[in-house]
Amino acid sequence: MSTIEVPTTGARRAGLFSQVINAGAMKKLIVLVMLALAWEATVRLLDVNKLLFPPFSDIVSRLFQGLGLGGSGELWSYIWETLSVILQSFAISIVIAVVVTGLAVSNRWMREVLSVMTGIFQPLPSIALLPMAILWFGFSRESLIFVVVMAMIWPIASSLTVGFATISPTLLRLGRNYELGRTAMMWEILLPAALPMMISGLRVGWGFGWRTVVAAELVFGATGTGGGIGWYINNSRLFMNIADGFAGILLVIIVGLLTESVFRLVQHLTTHKWGTESF
Amino acid sequence: MTASVNCATEQPQPGGDLVEIDHVSIVFPGSRGRGTVVAVEDVSISIRRGEKFLILGPSGCGKSTLLTAIGGFIPVSAGEIRVDGKPVTHPSMQRVLIFQDFGQLLPWRTVTANVAWAIGKRWPAMSPGERRGRAMQYVELVGLGPQADQYPNTLSGGQKQRCAIARAFAVEPEILLMDEPFGALDAINRERMQFELNRVWAAQEEKATIAFVTHDVNEAVHLGHRIMVMSRGPGRLRALRDNPGVGSPPHDGAAMALVDELRDLLKDPT
Repeated sequence: MSTIEVPTTGARRAGLFSQVINAGAMKKLIVLVMLALAWEATVRLLDVNKLLFPPFSDIVSRLFQGLGLGGSGELWSYIWETLSVILQSFAISIVIAVVVTGLAVSNRWMREVLSVMTGIFQPLPSIALLPMAILWFGFSRESLIFVVVMAMIWPIASSLTVGFATISPTLLRLGRNYELGRTAMMWEILLPAALPMMISGLRVGWGFGWRTVVAAELVFGATGTGGGIGWYINNSRLFMNIADGFAGILLVIIVGLLTESVFRLVQHLTTHKWGTESF
Repeated sequence: MTASVNCATEQPQPGGDLVEIDHVSIVFPGSRGRGTVVAVEDVSISIRRGEKFLILGPSGCGKSTLLTAIGGFIPVSAGEIRVDGKPVTHPSMQRVLIFQDFGQLLPWRTVTANVAWAIGKRWPAMSPGERRGRAMQYVELVGLGPQADQYPNTLSGGQKQRCAIARAFAVEPEILLMDEPFGALDAINRERMQFELNRVWAAQEEKATIAFVTHDVNEAVHLGHRIMVMSRGPGRLRALRDNPGVGSPPHDGAAMALVDELRDLLKDPT
């Protein structure tokens, strides 16, 4: 057979890190350094008010101090506060989405309900629900979780439903042919077959949730309660520590990128390798 | 190559009937619930142990429906299908279906792991090492040794079908049900796969029973010890031919004569 040489698993594994980390990494790094230098130069050369717009080096040094390198390390507690809210919301969203998906897959009407609900809530930034949430739950963690869950559920549930509804009938037949019971069918056919849509749903859901939690904390910051990274950014404004505020913003970006790369790594180890990736 | 051709012309060992299709009709509800569509009408035929039995017919004649019913995936409307004397009621690992669809492999398992998975379903008590060893043996048999650790998405269509065939042979079913498995391959690959199927069948010590559906006359003559011709609308048994020259080259005289005869049978609508 005339086959094109396909790299073996070993070779592919060696290439994994280079693909995830090095893919155009050099060029991107150069662009980042140039942006930082441009920032630094603009502030220093053009007599900008450093209190309102600090040079990049100040921000980086504040970030390092905030993370405990020659400083207090106070940022860790803020990151943890925000992460714990989003992780808790993520878990709640997944449980609700799984239940909703189970109903939607087994019942035609429930599928319509889910489709309409997703259609309604997709264009609504769930942060718009925060005022109501504050009325219902007060300035509490529950309010935060409510808006974050509202941001996450819909993309997760709709991807899960699409993932299960579009499983190839051939694979279902294969499962029946090999006499799989309900549990085996679930674990060995349905879940892996729906995994690509599952991962992309979780990825999109997490992205929505991350934006929402930071925004909600900013609003909480205005009232002086709460303690996440958004709160920290707003607090920096109150005390005119603009460099700290920028450090907080940088941290939001970095954490966002790190979690995104976790999802990408999971995709790389599963659906990308199988050639069933959905995006 | 010569050795394989000799093997391919081998006739099945004398064996009794394995599958009895007894006055089977299969009827579907018509579109929008109006009336019914008769896919298969009053077909009676037996498939012998250890033969390659070809079901030949134009598209839409109900041949795939009949095969799927032998697999137990759809119920018959009248009559009965018996395998080894027992009526078929549901799908079973004793009757493995091979589809035309290249998507019949589990994408998240490598070639060997796909075969080993099926072996594990068939013999749950077998140790993982033993499963893998047996899987490798069948992967080698279909010539996929170099691709053993690749995922299906890196295989060509022909290689995917080879893997599906290895998986089906590896669980030693009573009968393999092949639903136009080479239908989506290009002409050259299709011929190669027919040749390979003859070789794999001949390589088995205990010859597998295969029911093979196709609309390709040449494929039927190349593969089938016996060829059943079906007519369309409703699907009926039209003719049954013995094929002593099975596996011989397509330009062989006797084979050509049978090809011509079958072609005429397919053209003639009555």
